[in-house]
Amino acid sequence: MTASEHRPDITVAGAGVSGTTCAVALSRHGFAVTLIDDQPDAGGQVFRAPSPYAREKIRADQERKKGDRIRKHLAASGVDHRRATRIWGLTGRFELDLLGPDGMAQLRAERLVIANGAVERFLPAPGWTTPRVIGLAGASILLRGGGTLPGRSIVLAGSGPLLFSVAHQVLALGGKVAAIVSSAGLGEWIELGTKLYRDAGRLLEATRWMAQITAARIPIHYHARISDIQNLEDGVLVTICPKDRRKSSSTVKASILAYGDGLKPTTLLSRAAGARHEYDPSGDYFKPVTDTAGRTDVTNLYVTGDAAGIEGAEASRLRGLLTAHAIALDTGRITKAGFDSLAAPALRRLQKLAAISVTMRRLMRSGHDCALAIPESTILCRCERVMASAARQAVAAGARDVNQVKAWTRCGMGPCQGRSCEDGLRQILIETGGISPQDTGIFTVRAPFFPLPLSAISGEFDYDDIPLPKAAPL
Amino acid sequence: MSVTIGTAHERYDAAIIGAGVMGATTALFLAQAGMKVALIERGALFRAASGINAGTLTLHMTRAQLIPHAIRGREMWLDAARWLGEPVGAVSTHGLSLAFTEAEEALLRARARVRSEAGAPIEIISAGKAVGIEPGLNPGLRAAASCALDGHIPSYRVGAAYARALEREGVTLLEHGEVAQIATGNGGDHAIHLRDRAHPVHAARVVASGGAWLEKMLDWMGFAIPIRCLFNQLVVTEPMSEVMGSVISIANGLLSLKQFTNGSVLIGGGWQGEGTLEAGGTRVIPENLRGNVRLAQHVIPALRNAMVLRVWLGQEAETPDAMPLIGSLGPDDTRFVIGSVHSGFTSGPYMARLLADRILGGDPDLRAFDPCRFALPPATKTSSLPPTLS
Repeated sequence: MTASEHRPDITVAGAGVSGTTCAVALSRHGFAVTLIDDQPDAGGQVFRAPSPYAREKIRADQERKKGDRIRKHLAASGVDHRRATRIWGLTGRFELDLLGPDGMAQLRAERLVIANGAVERFLPAPGWTTPRVIGLAGASILLRGGGTLPGRSIVLAGSGPLLFSVAHQVLALGGKVAAIVSSAGLGEWIELGTKLYRDAGRLLEATRWMAQITAARIPIHYHARISDIQNLEDGVLVTICPKDRRKSSSTVKASILAYGDGLKPTTLLSRAAGARHEYDPSGDYFKPVTDTAGRTDVTNLYVTGDAAGIEGAEASRLRGLLTAHAIALDTGRITKAGFDSLAAPALRRLQKLAAISVTMRRLMRSGHDCALAIPESTILCRCERVMASAARQAVAAGARDVNQVKAWTRCGMGPCQGRSCEDGLRQILIETGGISPQDTGIFTVRAPFFPLPLSAISGEFDYDDIPLPKAAPL
Repeated sequence: MSVTIGTAHERYDAAIIGAGVMGATTALFLAQAGMKVALIERGALFRAASGINAGTLTLHMTRAQLIPHAIRGREMWLDAARWLGEPVGAVSTHGLSLAFTEAEEALLRARARVRSEAGAPIEIISAGKAVGIEPGLNPGLRAAASCALDGHIPSYRVGAAYARALEREGVTLLEHGEVAQIATGNGGDHAIHLRDRAHPVHAARVVASGGAWLEKMLDWMGFAIPIRCLFNQLVVTEPMSEVMGSVISIANGLLSLKQFTNGSVLIGGGWQGEGTLEAGGTRVIPENLRGNVRLAQHVIPALRNAMVLRVWLGQEAETPDAMPLIGSLGPDDTRFVIGSVHSGFTSGPYMARLLADRILGGDPDLRAFDPCRFALPPATKTSSLPPTLS
């Protein structure tokens, strides 16, 4: 930990599409901007920079081209891009604790833009913690960033557009998709299709994916869920259960299962910074309360892009732009009239995209009803191996919010800070305790945001260097 | 648990404000004795200091005068099944306090003598013997104070046991009940008005057990006692293979180190962070985090391989003389206080039992904890003292 560095005008946390767009736009407004991201290159999840191997192996698609464009703009800007730097602590006074290639550092931001995107939601199913089960987003990182197939054959299950995006990526690398299990029905997907005319690029892309998937004759189970996952010697045996109970279950064998139940905002930083959060039924998640431009209830704190609510990559780009203009307005660099004229095109486009976002969020939460009866012996918190039954007992004993269940059962106390178990636990509080989603609350965030080597904190030292406070009273 | 009060005129024998270890245990013993008890909590049961403290059962860090109470409190935790209805994961271990310099050794010996005179079975042992007990220790130590009575308890889990016990004993638990004011009427009727609730809670007796909030609570009852709020830093590691078996501290009391049964190591010792009463801990001070962690690594070198999982700040309330406030707040014997107990989690159950005994008409020795000891020498009197005496 070195002494606090000079504060830049604005610090942006997260170099995905929203954060990078925002940082570049802020720099054009004349601000000194520091952009922090844990990846070596900007682009975030959707526009992830491929490894040299992946760049050679996979034909450039639209997302690659857009990502390269963003990275080019960033490189040409005056933004101070801190690569491969993780934020492990953040206070309400915007003191950021960093761990980067040069070790520990502290940075105090005058204004902070949180743009750390989305995280995948997992609703527990029996067997979800067995080996050979990975997240859809994780699979996508491996495929797109690494140019590597996670297994010879793969079952894709869950909710949201990632199902088909990952199927496309598997096929692009010459892999085999054994089945797609969608919690949404065919009708809901068709509805998304009817909305996509508002975004020509995406419509084209989706059409191409679907053609590819149809040509590969991949079995698609609509309106179905995974009811069991067995780990075999050479793969997984997945039981697919139609939501319509009149139809019978079936099984499929594959080398690997990738599953996920849509995306939710990554709220670790916005919670640590002290912003107010509320439950959003349209996405079935908690999100920071912001206005259109990303202003929060904390002065000088902005949250933009998917971190403020899931809308997708194009909307995130526009949000990042709006936030940059809003900061220029808030600091007096531009007038209200100037803001209005800069913001108008983005606002118009966002309005057009809103119908897609709403439909997409509905698809992403279509797994919600699958979680209604998480079996007692299913692991809810994989970090601490807490079963659903333990959480239900805590609720029966009087726990009324996620933090009380955490204290009494250790659910959410592990290294992921409750990211993976929070949604399943909320479901249990709602269903067993009759508690409203808003009242189930949100996990208290604590630093470090990821496990930190103790030696990175202690560094080299002599006993005499330790500033011992005066002795406690006797 | 949030309970709706059925009627406007429900009256309790005792209303206890603050559901941490002090308040919840007092409530439990009063209910066991047949009283009708309401336990009112601003947040949730056992979730402030009582649920996030270091869970130490040590005597090495206890104030000498409170050692007899800490010994009894420790016994109660180890024996929770008997009075709380279920065990709470308390583990009895050996306790070592260490000295690495000449000055620390002198301090260690002086403090060990005072504590052992107060009843703690503490003896000074050689460095070699200490390493024999705890092989992972830094062999560079000079001497250690050894105590057979020590141990730890996963404090965060204790609240669940209390929730069940309170329900069994018929205590009405009102969580998220923030007290707005207390109106005392004739015949010792206290009307406790809660924000966001239409009807006040009526009780014949009130017990203030709000931990760090005691200064504010005592102010409601006309007592001006300044209470300092400390924000003690705690660091927990990811589970790791066994690196220690005892509870370890150092001579000046600024380290507490233990490894729980799940393998995680808890590093504490009262290094301070920043915070406010309303928001709790708000900022870990980087220098203090580093200092605390260095000290731990110096004592158990294998901790250099640990992964730090969480750092947090727990509140502690301290009176001007760092001694507890336990007892009656006036001759009418309807208003009581309990709190500001140094190493309060260790001795908490016993302290609460003493207060419950007092409320039920017993006569335990609470003289040293009398809240009226601060009852105000008028300011004019102090300032009129002749300069030679001040």
